Formats: sequence, structure tokens, C-alpha cells
Amino acid sequence: MKFVAEIREGLGISWNALISNKMRSALATLGIIIGIVTVTLMGAAINGLNQAFIKNVSALGADVFYVSRFKWFNNTYEDWLSMRKRKPLHLVDAEALSKQLTLAAVVVPAISDNDSVKYKTRSASSVDIIGTTDGYLQTSGGDIAQGRFLTAADGRGNQPICIIGNDVATNLFRGENPIGQRIRIANQSFQVIGVLGKQGNLLGWSLDNRVIIPIREFLSGIWNGQLDDIEVKAGKLANLDDAQNELRQVMRRIRHLRPDQADDFAINQQDQLVAWFHSQTATIAVIGLFITSLALFVGGIGIMNIMFVSVVERTREIGVRKAIGAKRRTILLQFLIEAACICCFGGLIGLGIAWLATLAVTQWLFPASLSAGIVIIAVIVSLLTGVVAGFLPAWRAARMDPVEALRSE
Amino acid sequence: MPAKRTSLLLGEIQESFTMALTALTAHKLRSALTLLGVLIGVFSIIVVMTAMRVLERNVENNLSQLGSRTFAIQKWPEVQFGNNSDWEKYWRRKNITLELGETVEKKATLASAVGIEGTFWGGQIQTRYAKTAPTVQLLGETTGSFEARNWTVEEGRIFNDNDVDDARDVCVLGAALAKSIFPFGSPVGNELKINGINYNVVGILASKGASLGGNQDNFVIVPLTTALNRYGLRWNGLGILVQARNSAVYADCEEQVRGILRAARKVRPGAADDFELFSNDSLIEQFDKFTRAVRIGVVVVSSIALLAAGVGIMNIMLVSVTERTREIGVRRAVGAKRRNIMGQFIMEAVVLCEIGGVIGVVLGILGGNILAWFMKVPPAVPMDWIVLGLLICSIVGVIFGTYPAYKAANLDPIESLRYE
Repeated sequence: MKFVAEIREGLGISWNALISNKMRSALATLGIIIGIVTVTLMGAAINGLNQAFIKNVSALGADVFYVSRFKWFNNTYEDWLSMRKRKPLHLVDAEALSKQLTLAAVVVPAISDNDSVKYKTRSASSVDIIGTTDGYLQTSGGDIAQGRFLTAADGRGNQPICIIGNDVATNLFRGENPIGQRIRIANQSFQVIGVLGKQGNLLGWSLDNRVIIPIREFLSGIWNGQLDDIEVKAGKLANLDDAQNELRQVMRRIRHLRPDQADDFAINQQDQLVAWFHSQTATIAVIGLFITSLALFVGGIGIMNIMFVSVVERTREIGVRKAIGAKRRTILLQFLIEAACICCFGGLIGLGIAWLATLAVTQWLFPASLSAGIVIIAVIVSLLTGVVAGFLPAWRAARMDPVEALRSE
Repeated sequence: MPAKRTSLLLGEIQESFTMALTALTAHKLRSALTLLGVLIGVFSIIVVMTAMRVLERNVENNLSQLGSRTFAIQKWPEVQFGNNSDWEKYWRRKNITLELGETVEKKATLASAVGIEGTFWGGQIQTRYAKTAPTVQLLGETTGSFEARNWTVEEGRIFNDNDVDDARDVCVLGAALAKSIFPFGSPVGNELKINGINYNVVGILASKGASLGGNQDNFVIVPLTTALNRYGLRWNGLGILVQARNSAVYADCEEQVRGILRAARKVRPGAADDFELFSNDSLIEQFDKFTRAVRIGVVVVSSIALLAAGVGIMNIMLVSVTERTREIGVRRAVGAKRRNIMGQFIMEAVVLCEIGGVIGVVLGILGGNILAWFMKVPPAVPMDWIVLGLLICSIVGVIFGTYPAYKAANLDPIESLRYE
């Protein structure tokens, strides 16, 4: 009860002190505002970029496994050389997988090439030509803007039909209706049966610059090679681990691996991509936050300095308070509260400015986002700065000899 | 008259300087805390700039396998920073062939050495003693490459023209590789197998040392003709290295070779080169361009700390003006002009900033060179940034000292004398 009263009294005294030195308080607050704004903005920028990336890769789907010869990341050159020797994946593997897997919703083989696509006199160069089956739309998360996608029958047969990406449609057809037209890929004629919706980029790789054709047509007409990967979508999100285990066991059976042999394939997942991205950005984030926190540190030093001045100026006041019975704790608390008030106030104003700046940055530069976590951390950090910076001056005030303090002029 | 005025001005400056020092030493803790802010701001700029300079040095070291008089011609640019949207343009270019290299060799009169080289897949080397991982780089070279690449032979000999013309099965080893596969005795004259084919070792190169990206000396060199016979021309084509006779004719030599290549590859006048011609300097320039954005970002962020420090200085100067109201009143009363008071306080702020700045610079250089020490690169001292950093300090002092100084200068002398 007494403690609460002390805090209330401390708040009152600090408020009066802050009001009586308006300019000084404002400048001290400004230092903290600058620090908090930079740190918060840096946090928001990092946060925003991370979110943008995760949104970007979510097109891959968390429940899709990519069976391939190569692991996506953490490869050394030696690893790569040994993985290069692994047996290729073929269409029969995908068919066996789809027959034997019980926990998978769809199994989709995919093979791709990079080639130019021609329509009449126009041509688009380096388009991704993807050979796949009807399930591809489910694993890659696209949608159809016009026409239709491959059907199950298309996936099994080899008709010269294709679905073109959004960029290909706009580049080649320039406003004409592409459906039913014939385009030339690798000197063969394909009929356009559908156009994909706009999907954007994945790690700078355009997802709209592609043409999808039936996989058998790809293998018989363009390049009879090994598959890039077999994409397996798990049936339920709940049994993702079971699905992965089953996939691994079935793959081992298909590849005729003895129990003592290691896997000669890799099962890749979206979260590997996310982990890789975090490992890449972590260092940048640490350095960025460190450099910006220097500004906050400098602001804190400014507070400490002005608190020292304030303690010296109010020596008599401290002496009087002590003489009529104030404890050390009370004096300490009074000055700590004053410093914390400045910082808290600065922190809140700083957050407001940072919020506005975040909106502006998102509008014109890159995605940034202010999360609740950042806001809470910013408030705590600014409070902490105040307490840490205010402690030494407050300690000096609390330790003053009341007799000496009263005598000081 | 002007001389007298100058000496008067000098005297004023000197006076305000000593007054500033006295005032600062009178409040040691306060001054120390105030300059700590500036110190941190300058430190963060200088430490990053020093570290960048050290990194740059390291990259320069890595890139400078080419001598100062040598330039190279390739189908692909050596380094590409940022987007590779031009990929297709490079990809469409005709390969640089052995014949083209020989044409340059024949026609480039200003060159002292012309080498033709190609890098081939990593291979596995096997000797009686050891077997390497299949990652040893296999280089095909001609006789001229050794001079152009600044390679010196430690033991044995380099290729002669007969080795290259007859496509003999001989090889020269990099120093680190030689030590690892022939741990005992001299390798020269011994046989080894590269991907299962026998070669005779004729020479060992002097070591160029290890750098950040791993060991530089882990390669084996065979005559280019031998390599082409066995592995064929790869998609990235060959490279041509040209060493100019001396630095005076370097630019002429570059133009001459450019002309020869354009003629041989039938590039129309006005059309862009269909090959990349680059030297050490152009590579380093490219690196600089790439890092410029990073450097600018760092400077901007660091200057925010300086801004916060400036606000702190202004605050403390305002306090000090209030405290010294009587002193100001006395000075005004005995004839100091407004200008003198203003100069006194601005000088105080600038001196404070400069002391912080100098300490920050010293600490920053030390901190940045820790990186140099770790990477075993000679330490760097970014003179331009030191000057700039100190200049920024003074500017901060002037900007944030002006308002308190102005306030001090405009105090009414009578009021301020009466001030308790």
C-alpha cells in the first residue's frame, strides 16, 4: 500500500519536473524517439520481408512433398557429385507411387525444359515447358483463368494440347483469344486449351512464363528424359509425418533398396526453403538491428546525461525530502520514474511515427509490417532504456548525504 | 588593417577555444557522456567503412590472379552481380575457339604474351600415394598463359610449344595439390592419372596461398590441345589472356585486340562487342558498384545515431547556457559582442564533437581491422572516411550548437547579470 503511494507520489513529482523544463524534456524525448523509430522500422522491414517471402513460397503448399534425386539445400560440391550418380526418376516410378501410396491425395510427375514458343510471327524465348498430369494444379497451387486444365485422360494420353501461363498469353496473343489457337513448341504444333491465372514470382523466378503440356506428349515429342521430380500431396494435413514415412518406404521399395542401403532419393518440402531463407537473412537482421540499436543507445546516454544535470540542480530538493523522512528507495524511485516516463513517452511517439513510416515504405518501397510482437518489444525496450539510463543518476541522488545536500547552494 | 583584423579574429578563436576546454573539463562526467554519443555514431560509420575496405582488399587479392598488364577475353562476364537478365544475350554468343585465340596470338603485335585457356570439369587425380576427391580443377593452357597469368614455376618447367602442338600427355601441378598427392620426394618426372588417363608431371607452380574461397592452388594444368581432344569445347568456350608489352601501350593493346576480335568474329561497325574484355581494374570497379548501395545504407543508418547524439548535445548546451547566464552577463558587460558569445558556445559544441569524433575514428579503425586480422589481409585505413567522419562531427557540432549559442548571445546583459 505504501509502495503504491510512493509510486503515485513519484509520478506526480516527475510530471511536475518534466513540465517545468519543457524544452529539456522535449529534447531528451526526441533522442529516444529517433532511436525507437529506427529500431522499429528496421524490425518492421525484416518482418515484412520475411512475411512476403513466406507468402511467396506458400504457393508451394505445406503438404506437398517433392521427390527428387537432389536435396534442395545444404549441398556441397562433393554431395552434388554423388547425388548426380543416383538413378534417374521415370514416369513408371510415379505410376507405381500413385498405385501404392494410401495416404496421398495426388501424385504428379513433372519434367521441364526451357524453350522458345511461337505463335504466327511472334515468339517468346526461354519459356518453361512443363510436362505433367492433371494433378499439377493441386500441387503447384495455380488456377485457371480461361478455358480448362488437363483432365485425367489428357494426363494419360499424349495429345498435342497445352495450357499457357499468363505472361505467355499476353506476350504471344496481345488481346486475341488464345483458346483453340495453335502455338509451336520445339517445332511441334500444340493447341491452347487453357490460360493460367497470374501467379507472380517465386524467388525471382516467374511462374507466369510457362507452358504446361501432357507429360507423355513431352516425353514422346520434346525430350525423353528423366523426371525433375514427383510431387506428392498428402491427403490430410494432420498425418503429414505418416504420409512422408509411407512415401519414403514406398520409394525405397520402388528403387529396390536393401535395408542397409541409404536412400538414393531426396524428399524435399517447402519448410526447407523457409529454413534456408531464414538462415540467409538472420545475419543481415542481426547486423541491421545492432547498428540501429546504436541510435537508441545514444538516446539513452542523452537521458542519463540530462538526469545527472537534473539531480545536481535539485540537490536542495532532495535534501529537504530526505530531511523530512524520505527513504533512499523513495528518491531512487522518483528519479527512475522520471527517466522511465521520458523513455516511455518517447517510445509511444516513436511507435506512432514508425507506424506511419511503415505505411509509407510499404506503399512505395518494399513490404514492411509492424507486428504486435515488435510493438510490445519496442515499448519494453524503451522502458528498459529509461530504467537503465536513469539508474546511475537516481542512485547518486539516493545516496546523497542529506546534510550536505541541504547545505548546497 | 586587414592584417590587424585577422589577428583579432585569430585571437578570438584562440580565446574561445581555451574557454571551451575549461568549460568542458569543469564538468567532466557531463562532457564525457555527451561526447560518448558522437563517439558511437562516428565509430559505427568508421568501423563499417574499414571493414568494407578490408573486404574489398580481400576481393582484390582474390581477383588479382591477372597481372596488372593483363586483360582477359571471354564469352561470359567473369562476375555478375545482381540480376542475370542478360543471360540469354551471353548464351547466344559464338564460342571463343582455339583458332580465334591463335589469330589473336599471331596479330596482336603490342602483346608480350597471349595465352589461351579453358576450364574443364573437376577431375579425380590418382597417384601411387594418394587419391583426391573428384573436385580438382582441370585447366587447359597454352605456353603463353603462364606468363600472362603470372604463374612462376617452382620446380621443373612450364609447357613448351611442342607440348601444346603435339597435344602431349603432360601436366603442371598447383603447389597445394602437388604436396597432397606426392607427399614424398619430387613429383617432377612422375606419372599420375587424371580421370584414369596417364599424364607425366613436368612442373610445379609456386604457391599463391590460400584465400577466403578456399585453396587457390588445387588445380592441375594440361596442354589446351590435350584437354580439347579429350573433353571437347565446353558450352562456355575458351578464354584468351593478353599481356601488354608495358603499361604505356596497355590501352593501345586492348584496342588492337578488340579490333582483331571484332574483325575475326565479323562484328559490324557500330554493333556491340560479342565478347567480354576485362581486366583486374574493371572487376574491382564492378565490385565497388555492387557494394555502393550497401555502403550508402550503412552511412545513412549510422548517421541516425549521430542525429540522436546531436540532440543530446543541444540539450546539454542549453543547460550549460542557463547555468552560465551570469558569466555571459559579465562578458557582455565588459564588452564582448554577441558574435563572441555565439562563437564561444559553438566552439564548445564543436570541440566536444571533435574529441568524440577522434576517439570514435581510432576505435572504429581498430574494430574494423579485427576483420583484417581474422582474414589475414593487411589492415586498411580509409583516409577519405576519416576526413569525412570528422567533418560530419564538426557539422553536427555547428548545427546543434547554434541554437543554444544563439540563445546565449541574445540574452539581455542586464537581466543576465541580475540572474541568480
